[in-house]
Amino acid sequence: MTVAIVLLALFGSAWLLAVIEGWMVTGRLSPAAPLFSGLAHLGRESILPRSPDRVFFEAAPVLLLVVAVLGMAVLPLAPDLIIADLGTGALFINAALAYVLVAVIMAGWGPDGAYAMIGGWRFLGQLIAYSMLIVMPITAVAMRAESLLNTAIVGSQAVLWNIVYQPLGFVLFFIAAMALAFRAPFDLPTAEGELGGGVDAEYTGVRLAVLRLARLTLVVTLASATTVFYLGGWHGPLLPPWAWSLIKTLAVAVSMLLVGRYLPRIREADLMRWCWILGIPLALLNIIIVGLLILVVP
Amino acid sequence: MYAQAFFVTVFGLAAIGFGVVVFRTSSMVRSALALLFSQTAVGCMFLAMQTEFLGVLQIMMMATEMSIMAIFMVMFMMDPGGLGGMDMSHQKRFSIGAGGSAAVVAIAVALLSNWGPAAEQVVDAEAQTRALGMELLGRSMMIFETAGITILTAMIAATAVAIPVQNLASKDDKEASE
Repeated sequence: MTVAIVLLALFGSAWLLAVIEGWMVTGRLSPAAPLFSGLAHLGRESILPRSPDRVFFEAAPVLLLVVAVLGMAVLPLAPDLIIADLGTGALFINAALAYVLVAVIMAGWGPDGAYAMIGGWRFLGQLIAYSMLIVMPITAVAMRAESLLNTAIVGSQAVLWNIVYQPLGFVLFFIAAMALAFRAPFDLPTAEGELGGGVDAEYTGVRLAVLRLARLTLVVTLASATTVFYLGGWHGPLLPPWAWSLIKTLAVAVSMLLVGRYLPRIREADLMRWCWILGIPLALLNIIIVGLLILVVP
Repeated sequence: MYAQAFFVTVFGLAAIGFGVVVFRTSSMVRSALALLFSQTAVGCMFLAMQTEFLGVLQIMMMATEMSIMAIFMVMFMMDPGGLGGMDMSHQKRFSIGAGGSAAVVAIAVALLSNWGPAAEQVVDAEAQTRALGMELLGRSMMIFETAGITILTAMIAATAVAIPVQNLASKDDKEASE
């Protein structure tokens, strides 16, 4: 039952996000558009490139979707509404999301096309930039909760949300999460107008539909992680816990889309430089500050 | 108990199977990802044996490590994308001998060691994580720090070796083009 509810919430949010994205781009609010678009993809021919690495080509979109769903499995929507409250939950999200890279590399390498391949390798460079900025802020969050249980992490924010307690960590995590979801301005692996779609380029029909769904789901999962780690999860007045989780998750997801819409695409070299010269020292500083706060403030 | 033994066996066989695939494919990227899934299967074995932290850590670390290894192999082999078909096995006779004897030694260690009585009860994942943290920041701290520094040194050395020597003329050209 819990599994069904969480999955419904996940894909429902992904659908809402697609509607909002369409609204932002076209200016028309059409709730059925993602549905029709998905159906259209199912109806189209699913072209197979000339000499693909068949296993990788087929597995990549599915793996991306599985990864996003697995990440969501350890994130609580409400105190009891969680598929698996793992004792290593905060670490498990990292483990699941590490396979986004594997999926993108597979998608890049599988179709045997130049643009896709460059996109795939680009994402590896992107990972080297953002991965520390995902892990280190989560470390600071777990330090405060003194647990890797995601429910315990939400519980530790009952009085004061982590966005206030460790704002630096929030900013770094938010940026890194956007880079992980490869949304604009971090959409180097797909880079429309520059790489001709990158890893998306060779996918059509059903496979493209799965890939698009997976990318939207990934955004929702990461927004939900941001909510759990920094925005107090289900905590909030009046409304039931699950409603607060959904509202916050959607707000984070929409803000990710909005930020992406008004910023120019970043260069790979700049991303790497800023993340390593500025981001990682700041993430370490965040850990030190949180450590001191834990020691000083009881 | 039987379910546990079943899953350990399944993931163990998967690990060996993917390990074989590493040498059976004709491309470095496929080989690297096969190695990744072999290591992931080992991580799943950890999970099946209820060592949650180690399992999740193994599954997490291998994804990035093996992907980075793939791109390093591609870079060093001068084969963009790793699409050129190549034989993944080298020094066949020697490696078969080395692999065979290593397997014999590993099996001998597994069978002949005194493992003590099997654990009936396992503490939960949280307690395990805590115990591991205490171990890492206590008795084993020096060993882990040394290992970490050694790996870091190796990475920096490998990168330094990989960067081609630049002469001043080409550097000027580069700056001019920027």
